[in-house]
Amino acid sequence: MAILNKKSKISDEIPSASMADIAFLLLIFFLVTTVFPKDRGLPIVLPEEQEEVEISQRNILHITINPDGSVGVRRGDSQNESFHRPHQIQQVWRTEVSQNPNLIAGVRTHPEAAHRYMVQVLDALQMANAERISLQMGEG
Amino acid sequence: MPLKGGGLERKSKASDQIPSSSLADIAFLLLIFFMVTTVFRTEADRPIEWPEAEATQQIDETRDNIMYIWVERNGDVWINDRLVPMENVSELVAPRWVESGRRLRISLRADAEVPYRFVDAVQREIQQAGAIYVVFATDLERRMMRERR
Repeated sequence: MAILNKKSKISDEIPSASMADIAFLLLIFFLVTTVFPKDRGLPIVLPEEQEEVEISQRNILHITINPDGSVGVRRGDSQNESFHRPHQIQQVWRTEVSQNPNLIAGVRTHPEAAHRYMVQVLDALQMANAERISLQMGEG
Repeated sequence: MPLKGGGLERKSKASDQIPSSSLADIAFLLLIFFMVTTVFRTEADRPIEWPEAEATQQIDETRDNIMYIWVERNGDVWINDRLVPMENVSELVAPRWVESGRRLRISLRADAEVPYRFVDAVQREIQQAGAIYVVFATDLERRMMRERR
């Protein structure tokens, strides 16, 4: 029975010669489509709504951000305001907090001041390890 | 026993070719690495100028628990590729806050030049929705750039 004994010449294995090519193709596809997440920034915890805390003026450092980017600093119990550049706040905060460890930073930003300046002040405060920061908007 | 040729003609048995048998393994390793780290974009970036900050840190929360709010230079608020009126922001934040089990981080991606009143308004909306964790998205600032300023 010649017909039944004839063996097929087609291999019954999956060809593996192109496996590396397929792997490289997939590799290049994923290399190109990968987007590494850029989730970073300055974290802050907002107070919950209707959560108001009375703070003695003595423990507040008023930081006022003006539209031109100048920053006024005034102690809660004083009338003297000194003006600084945003990045100088780091040094100011370190000096102030060494005199009063309970100090809270009250950052009041003018409505028309650029977001950039508020971020710079927040950055300076966080670089100086300030933990208690309150963000408010000043009057226009 | 005397050495053949006085030991001068002895050939090194080490091959001078880079071994290529592990090439496929390396390719697969890279392939799996990129497959695992790939995140397909869910929303498009808005064109904003990123503020810069030295204290920039990574948000330690999974991607599902991060919500992005974009604030453009003209004060437009975009969430999930859609322009959202300011007063509707809290309605979008509130369900996500509950869903996440009070863990939601809001990445506030505001343009560096946007007037602060828009950022403040968004913060009020977030507070109204009950969420409290906000991250002001920034680019890491290098100290060198600061010196120049």
